[in-house]
Amino acid sequence: MSKKINLPWNSLGLIGVLIVLVLFFSLMSDYFFSTVTFRTLVNQIPALTVIAVGMTYVLLVAGIDLSVGSVMALSAAVVGVLIVDFNLPVVIAIVAGLFVGLSFGVASGFVSAHWKIPSFVVTLGVLEIARGGAYLVTSSETKYIGDPIAFIGSPVPGIGVSAALIMAVAVVIFAQWLLSKTVFGRYMIAIGTNEEAVRLAGINPVKWKVAVFAIAGLLAGLGGVFQLGYLQSADPNAGIGLELSAIAAVVIGGTSLSGGRGSVVNSFFGVLIIAVMQTGLAQLGVSESSKRIITGLVIIAAVLFDQYREPLAKKLNRIA
Amino acid sequence: MGLKQLLTRAGFLITLGLLSACDSGTPAANQEATTSSEDKPARVALVMKSLANEFFINMANGAETHQKDNADKYELIVNGIRNESDLAQQVSLIEQMMATQVDVIVVAPADSKSILPVAKRAIDQGITVINIDNKFDQELMAKMGVSIPFVGPDNRAGARKIGEYLAQQLTAGDQVAIIGGIPGAFNAQQRQAGFEDAMTAADINVVSIQAADWEQAKAATIAAAILSENPELKAILAANDSMALGAVAAVRQAGRSDDVLVVGFDNISAAQDMVKNGSMLATAEQYGDQLAVFGIEYALQILESGQSPEDKNTPVDLVTQESLQ
Amino acid sequence: MQNSASTLLSVHDLDKTFAVPVLKQLNFELKRGEIHALMGSNGAGKSTLCNIIAGVHQATAGSMQFLGNDYRPENVNAAETSGVRMVMQELNLFPTLSIAENLCFKHLGNKFGVIDKQRLNQKAEALLTLVGLDDLSPDTPMAELGVGKQQLIEIASVISEPTQLLIVDEPTAALTDPQIDLLFNELNRLKESGVGIIYISHRMDEIQRIADRVSILRDGQLVATENIADIDVDTIVNLMAGSVDESAKTITKNNNTGTHPVAFTVNQFTRAPAFNDISFDVKSGEVLGIGGLIGSGRTELLRAMFGADVASSGFLSFANDNFQQKVTPKTPIDGIKAGIGLVVEDRKSQGLLLQGSLLSNISLSILPKLTRFFGVTNNSQEHELAMDIAKRLAIKYDDIYAPISQLSGGNQQKALIARWLLKDLPILLFDEPSRGVDARAKALIHDLIREQAALGKAVVVVSSETQELMTVSDRILVLSNGRLAGEFDPETLTEEQLLEASFRYYSASNQ
Repeated sequence: MSKKINLPWNSLGLIGVLIVLVLFFSLMSDYFFSTVTFRTLVNQIPALTVIAVGMTYVLLVAGIDLSVGSVMALSAAVVGVLIVDFNLPVVIAIVAGLFVGLSFGVASGFVSAHWKIPSFVVTLGVLEIARGGAYLVTSSETKYIGDPIAFIGSPVPGIGVSAALIMAVAVVIFAQWLLSKTVFGRYMIAIGTNEEAVRLAGINPVKWKVAVFAIAGLLAGLGGVFQLGYLQSADPNAGIGLELSAIAAVVIGGTSLSGGRGSVVNSFFGVLIIAVMQTGLAQLGVSESSKRIITGLVIIAAVLFDQYREPLAKKLNRIA
Repeated sequence: MGLKQLLTRAGFLITLGLLSACDSGTPAANQEATTSSEDKPARVALVMKSLANEFFINMANGAETHQKDNADKYELIVNGIRNESDLAQQVSLIEQMMATQVDVIVVAPADSKSILPVAKRAIDQGITVINIDNKFDQELMAKMGVSIPFVGPDNRAGARKIGEYLAQQLTAGDQVAIIGGIPGAFNAQQRQAGFEDAMTAADINVVSIQAADWEQAKAATIAAAILSENPELKAILAANDSMALGAVAAVRQAGRSDDVLVVGFDNISAAQDMVKNGSMLATAEQYGDQLAVFGIEYALQILESGQSPEDKNTPVDLVTQESLQ
Repeated sequence: MQNSASTLLSVHDLDKTFAVPVLKQLNFELKRGEIHALMGSNGAGKSTLCNIIAGVHQATAGSMQFLGNDYRPENVNAAETSGVRMVMQELNLFPTLSIAENLCFKHLGNKFGVIDKQRLNQKAEALLTLVGLDDLSPDTPMAELGVGKQQLIEIASVISEPTQLLIVDEPTAALTDPQIDLLFNELNRLKESGVGIIYISHRMDEIQRIADRVSILRDGQLVATENIADIDVDTIVNLMAGSVDESAKTITKNNNTGTHPVAFTVNQFTRAPAFNDISFDVKSGEVLGIGGLIGSGRTELLRAMFGADVASSGFLSFANDNFQQKVTPKTPIDGIKAGIGLVVEDRKSQGLLLQGSLLSNISLSILPKLTRFFGVTNNSQEHELAMDIAKRLAIKYDDIYAPISQLSGGNQQKALIARWLLKDLPILLFDEPSRGVDARAKALIHDLIREQAALGKAVVVVSSETQELMTVSDRILVLSNGRLAGEFDPETLTEEQLLEASFRYYSASNQ
């Protein structure tokens, strides 16, 4: 037996769901199956994408981060205020915003891992703190930035997709690589599987868990920057309920809520599924009530589908 | 297993199909219309704020009824956002409508500044954009070099009307409190300013101004706090009816229904009942169910005539116990 | 064995097999109105027998009669319906509920599920008086009580139900002397009323005080039942001991470990109440066995030496700095830095990543060494290393990437050992290394342990199996009730000596 080749069969179920959705919406609407629609669609997802990447890591170590939406809003608010009110260069403002996200992640991770407080509780607290912070720095007003930040969210000439999307996809690829090819990735899976065993193997799980939350915080900050580029304004109310969308995307991607199993790439597919749903239903002009019901059903259906994915993947691997 | 999977997939498709069949026949109508006729009707997208809020639901329903009566003139796609403050989703919706190449976008912006860039892009794409409900920021519009006509009520004047009616029941020097909407929103600022205008004019003392983000529960909490803080309080002015309902609940719980008057804005049905039974003093009717229709009609008018767009005021009327009789 | 009118329960030819036979053709008889002590060394089958009587487990073969009728409880409920109840060694209480709610938990509400608090409290007060805790308010939350009082309340809650046969397993461990007196009074009262009581304990003096008869189990069989008046402590120990298979000692050992240099010393190591003031040293190239009863503090001692738990006082010192530095490991990382590896007792919950692959389980502790740059794992090197050690330890697997949960207990254990061997530490601690492992794997593991000693490592093995201790050890220490109770040479050690030492500090007179 030689090295095992990892075929992407375990993404197959998700790709199947995506294709079904795209086919369905293409049949239902004249305008859905078009470059413009897809370009619009993918330019909307960078923030959710990077936040879902962070959430994947957190769920992998059997934690949860409810604060990502608020931290995103706060980071964006800090960037916005620094540009508008303090006239700082955009790059410096962005670095400051990312630093804010990182700090909140480190704080959540440290408090929950070091003092062994469930991350649910800690990040619930941070959710409120960061939201309050966002109101504080913006004086509860939307900060309009305009052109200085627009380059992040605007389509790159000749490609049609935004710089934010390109960066988000790069983050997905890098994060997947980190997960499957490095010691850090292996430790995350091990900690999510059996933290006590990891500790007794002479590895300090606290350190690694803090790192995971730090990454989630940093990516929430990056999501804030992407959001800024997209909206060209810092909205203190941005990202309310975003943590649930991120968790939904990650869970659709087959990451286990109890830790130890997950894939960044599949979380990205989860994000795409959610985005296709939203775009398709909006283009059809489906009523708000039906939208909610359908979205809920698709989340459950995709997760059910995931239950059958593993046996299917095995079967296909045998054939291959 | 294969069968199970097939069933899952089939069930999933059927569910989707059924659910969308429950909705209005717009999509099907779209297809027929766009493929058959040369002189095709205009395609109008209505982008609302939260469609969980009765005010916007009424507006959307009004628009849909109007469209049915004028099916030869235009088609309509209605979308709303999850909660009042989800700017990103509203931007997404406008982009998606741009992708479907509509002729008109009538938008009730969730924020008076942040939605402007995307609206500008829509205009650049040749789409007629009409602003309803919440007015875009004038300064920023000027800076960006766009002009988007606002069709809607003068919130400040409307709020002032309510305030003046309230002032008649009070005496100079009385204490009142104002519960505002989301601080950044233009109509929130306008209504608050209108309330303040009326109170200043009548020499009434505004002891507290707080934002409850248009939400009933938040307003109830804030009103309760204001009430216990100000035992002499005589009235609460809420910038919308949802918040007024919250304030009424807080007043009732504080046992001060006889002493504290509550006014709202929007004339939603629950508030109407309250005004009838005296729990609320007054609210304002801005013909919300017709606001979108006003916007659509104006847009169609512009499309036809090509005239340069200007703002257009729609009526705001006071609703009191007498007016309801 | 004859059934007389006084017989409450009789057990005939009972067999029970888990992975290996635990009870073999066991016979036992309990009379009405007697307190019957059960004794035996670790793994003799006391707990298994009681679990079968109480309906926790079911026998593989054999029969039981209770009150003259066939008795084969399918579960605990069925046993309790018949009037057979067991006080568990672990407390089955709800710490957040009040005493009254705990005592009446099975009959909390009326038929509508509504709780009549007054009725509960009255009932609870009566029960509290029974166990001498009438000064406690029934409203007190359970969590506010000490372990001893909780134990008494647990007993009260069991005997509050109609009972004909009561099993108590080491009930006095956490009790003070007056509390023990109260408990014994209550047991005697139950006895007078005709209840048959099975009393499991390691404490000889208590058994002599309370029991009417004693049965001694060895290797899953009854070896004797005697009136307590007719038997002395030495005889009991002799009966428990049996004989040791001499072939066990034929395994190759380093004969002259006595001259080997000391690798590390343990000094006044204490983590109360688990173990107290333990001092010993371990030489390079020797296997030091640690025996004693389950719960005597052996696992806790190893964990504290490794840093999994922290010793409250005492220290380790090591040969590499001439025993200068006093080391008290605070975390496993400290332990490893000091050169110590621990193969844990509970491999499923503390050792393995059960959903993880065999590969990832083996390589877990050496991953940072298997990197190319920036923490990127060198998968081919990892694979090679894991394959290599899996082959060396004869781990059987189909797919090194498949979850380790699919492997047998023996292979899982070998994988865990492999993890530590790859780490190549000079000191290895093994806690029950062959638990739940078949005979062939056990022999392999023993060879492996000896091999590590032969390589010059200092090895400590905790085991509850005398046979195993004798087989692998160059020296044997015995812990009794958290204290060191002797050091023995396995060549000359008899099981009587071992048992005598194991039981030594459980008697009040020796404390």
